[in-house]
Amino acid sequence: MSPSDSIPEGDFQRLFATEAEGRLDTLVDELLELEKGGANPDLVASLFREAHTIKGGAAVVGMAHVARVAHALEDLLEEVRRDRRGVDAALIDAVLAGVDAIRTLIPLAVAGQDHEQAAFDAEQRLRIAVGGPAVADKTAPPPAAPVRAAAPASPGPAGRAGLAHEQAAPAPEPPAAPPVLEAPLPPPPRIPAASPAVAAASPDAPGARAVGPEGSRGPEPASAEPLAAADHPAGDHATDQAAAVHVEPVRASATEMVQMPVHRIDDLVRLIGEASAATLRLGSALLERLKRDPSTVTEYRDLVRSLNELQELALHARMIPVMSLAPRLRRAVRDLARETEKEVRFETRGEDAEIDRGVLERLADPLLHLVRNAVDHGVETPNERRLRGKPIEGLIRLHAMQLGSEVVIAVSDDGRGIDVDRVRAAAGRTDSSAMEMDDEAALYLIFRSGLSTATKITGVSGRGVGLDAVRASLNAVRGRIEVRSDPGVGTEFRIAVPITMATLRCLVINAGGQAYAIPLHSVRAVLPPQPSATVGGRAMTMVDGRPVPISSLARVLGTGNGSEGPAVIVAGLTRSHAFRVDDLVDQRDVVVKGLGELVPRLPAVAGAGVQPDGSILLVLEAAGLIERARRMDSGDRSVEAADGGAQEAPAPRQAPSILVVDDALTVRELQRSIFENAGYRVKVATDGEEALTKISEERPDLVLTDVQMPRMDGFQLTEAIRGQPSLASLPVIILTSRGSDEDRRRGLECGADGYIVKSGFDQSALLHAVERLLGAER
Amino acid sequence: MATATAPGVGAGQLALLIPVGSDTYALPLETVREVVVEPRVTELPTSPTVVRGVFNVRGDIVPLLDTALLLGLRAVLEEPYAVLVETAHGIAGLVATEMPQTVRLSESVGQSDMEGTTETYLVGDARLAVALDVEALLSPARISR
Repeated sequence: MSPSDSIPEGDFQRLFATEAEGRLDTLVDELLELEKGGANPDLVASLFREAHTIKGGAAVVGMAHVARVAHALEDLLEEVRRDRRGVDAALIDAVLAGVDAIRTLIPLAVAGQDHEQAAFDAEQRLRIAVGGPAVADKTAPPPAAPVRAAAPASPGPAGRAGLAHEQAAPAPEPPAAPPVLEAPLPPPPRIPAASPAVAAASPDAPGARAVGPEGSRGPEPASAEPLAAADHPAGDHATDQAAAVHVEPVRASATEMVQMPVHRIDDLVRLIGEASAATLRLGSALLERLKRDPSTVTEYRDLVRSLNELQELALHARMIPVMSLAPRLRRAVRDLARETEKEVRFETRGEDAEIDRGVLERLADPLLHLVRNAVDHGVETPNERRLRGKPIEGLIRLHAMQLGSEVVIAVSDDGRGIDVDRVRAAAGRTDSSAMEMDDEAALYLIFRSGLSTATKITGVSGRGVGLDAVRASLNAVRGRIEVRSDPGVGTEFRIAVPITMATLRCLVINAGGQAYAIPLHSVRAVLPPQPSATVGGRAMTMVDGRPVPISSLARVLGTGNGSEGPAVIVAGLTRSHAFRVDDLVDQRDVVVKGLGELVPRLPAVAGAGVQPDGSILLVLEAAGLIERARRMDSGDRSVEAADGGAQEAPAPRQAPSILVVDDALTVRELQRSIFENAGYRVKVATDGEEALTKISEERPDLVLTDVQMPRMDGFQLTEAIRGQPSLASLPVIILTSRGSDEDRRRGLECGADGYIVKSGFDQSALLHAVERLLGAER
Repeated sequence: MATATAPGVGAGQLALLIPVGSDTYALPLETVREVVVEPRVTELPTSPTVVRGVFNVRGDIVPLLDTALLLGLRAVLEEPYAVLVETAHGIAGLVATEMPQTVRLSESVGQSDMEGTTETYLVGDARLAVALDVEALLSPARISR
C-alpha cells in the first residue's frame, strides 16, 4: 500500500512519527516489565508485535533506515519469542538501544537527513545481541517482510493488535494532523454515531476503541475484525496516550473511547464559557426588566448548574492519567541504576489520578529530575545497603493522588536521605543566615536558585542537581514542591499542581475596592449577607446547617475594611471558609499566568490574568486564603486568651484592634474610618475613664489617645495603663494638638510609645506609626 | 541579555538617569527595555511592601518595585513612571518619580557604599547619580526579605 498521490509524503512521515512514538513508549514499558517479571510469553509476543508494526510502518513511509533497525529489533525479539534466547540485562540493553536509535532516526528521516551510519550501528548491536553474526551488508529492509499473521492469543491489554503492517498503512488524512487526545467517556450516555469519528464504537466489539479523526476512515461499518479496525495509524500516536492505555488495562477495556483533536475540546470549553457569560446577562436582564432576583428563579438556577457541570466535564476531557509518564520515568530509573550499579525497584501508585494534558507535559522534566536524583543520590549502593541492614534492592515510588483541585505527585526513595548539616554548611559559605536555620528551613536550601549556590550545594550534598530548575518549571504551572527527608530512611519530594492550567472559570468579586477572581471550582456557594455569631472567639456563619468560619476578604488580604456584602463560601483541600465581599461582579474565564520569578510565592494568590481592557485581575487561591484567614483568627484568639476576660461578640475579629480615645466626635470618627479602611478593628471611648473600662472589657492591641479630655486626660490614662502589670506592654500613642517640648517630654515620661502632633499629622504617618508598633505582618 | 552585560555602568557609557524622590540613580541603557508612563498598577495583597503591585506590559504581567525601598530608603508615594529592566529572573518595573533621561556618563567620582549600587557619577553641574547593580538589586531573595 502506498501513500495516495494527493498527500505529500512528509505528512505520512509525521503521522508515522507520532504513531511510532506511542509504540516505542509501550515497547519500553513492556520491556521493563519483562525485565522485572521474567519471561512472559504474552509480553514477549506483544513486544514483538510492536517492533513488527513499527518496521512495517517505516517501510511504507519510506524510512528505510528506521525499518532496518526495527527489523533487527523484530528479529531479536523473535528469538526470544521462540525461546531461543533468554531474557537478560544484555538483551534489555540492546532493545533499549534499538528503541533509542529509532527515536533518533525518525526525526532525522522526517527532516530528510542522512542517517545511514547510526542505523548501521544500531542494527549491528541488535544483531550481536541475538548471538548471531554481525550482518555486514543488509542494505534495504525487505519492505514486504513476511507478515506474521500468526498473532499470539492475547490481543494485548488495550485491545491493541498491530497484526499486520498492512493495517498500518496510512489512510487519507488531513495534512498535519493536530494532536489527538483520547478521552474516556462515562459509559451510560452512549454517544450517537453522529460523526465518522465515533462510528466505529461498535457495541459488539467490547474493548475496541472507536478511532480516527474526522474523515480518516469514513463511516464504513465497523469491521468484522474490530481489533484490526482499531489499529489505525492515526490511532495510537500521542505518546502519552499509548502509555495511558497501557497502564490502565482494566479501565481501557471497560470504557469506550473516542479520539478527537485537542482543539475540538478547547472549542467546546470556550463555547461553554460564552454560554455562561450569556446566562449571566440573562440573569441581569431578569433583574432589571422583570424585577426578579435570578437566584430565586428555579429555571435560571438549573441552567447555571447545568452549564457548570458541562464546563467541568469538558475540562475533564482534556485530562490524561498522571501515570502515562511512568514508562519514561521507569526507563530513566532503570538506565541510571544500571549505570551506577545499583539495584532499584520502581513502583507506581495512583493509576486513577488524572491531570490536564498540558500540565502533565510540563511535569515530565521535573519528575525526571527527581527520579534520577533519587537513583543517583538517594539510593545507596548494594554494599552500603547491606551494611545498613536494608534490603539490597532500593525502592523508588511514584505516587499520584488527586486532592481537590490539585494533583499531588510524590517521588520517594528509601535511600540515605539528605544530610541537612552539609546542605547548611555549603549554603553558609555564601549566606551566613543559613547557619541559623532550623533543619526544615535548611532542607529547602536545596531549591535555592542562583547557579553558584546550587552548584556548591550539589557538590557536597549531591542533591541539588537542577532542583532550582525543577522549582522554576513548577512555578510555570502554578505548582509547588515540598521535601521531607529522614536521614538513613529516605527522602520524599511532593509536587502539587493544579489539575488544569488552561482557562480557569472564576467568580469575580469586589473586595476592599478591588476586583478579584476566585476559581469557581473552589467556590461552594454564594450567600446573601449573612449574620454571624462568635464561637470560641471566631466568627462563624451557618452554611447548609453547619457552622463555617467567616471573615472579611479585604481584611484577610490586608487591603481594607470589613464589608456587609454577600458571603462567598470557599472550599480548600480539607475545609471551607466564608468570605464577606463588597459585591459580586460576574463569572469569567481567566487565562491564569504566574507572577514571575521576582515576586515571592504568595499562598493566597494563584496568579493573575490580563483582562480585555488591559487591567490585571488577580486570581486568589482558596487553600492559601483559608490558611491566612485561620492564622489571623488564631492570632486573635491568643490575644484574648492572654486577657482572660469574658468577651461579647463583635462580628469579624481577625484584624488587630485599636482603641481610639478622643472627646471630639469628628476626630474619633475620622480616626475610626482611617483605621478601618486600613483593615483594623476600631473601638472608641470619649475620655480616659471610659477607655479604662473598655480596656478591661476587651484588651485592644493598641491605644491611640488625645490629651485634652474631661474626667481623665491622655497623660493620666497612659499612666493608669502603665500602672497595671497586665497592660504594661500595651502600645500607647498620644495624639495631640500641643506641640510643645514640655508636653512631648511629659508624654514620653508617662510611658507612651509614640507622640504625634496633630498639626503635623498625616494619615500615612499615623498608620505607619501604628503598623510599626503592632509589628504588622506586612 | 542583561546577564551577559557587566553589572554596572562605566565612564563614557550611555546610562538612563532615574529620578527617585530627591535622589537620582543610573542604569546601563542596555538593561532598560522601556519606560512606561503612568503604569496602571494593580495592588498585590500579601506581597512584600517593596512590590507596589503588578502591571500589564503588552500582555506580560510585570511587578512594579519601589526603587527607594529596594535600596533600604523610605518608600516613595507615587509611581508616575516605571522603568522596565531585564534581569536574570525576568522583567521588572522600577519606580521613577520623574521622567528618566539618557546621558553619557563621565568619570566616576567614587564608590557608592549603598548596598545594590556600584559607583557614583557627576551628572550636570551638581547632580550625583548612583549606578544601580540590577542583578544584585533585583534578586528574588532581596525582594522577599
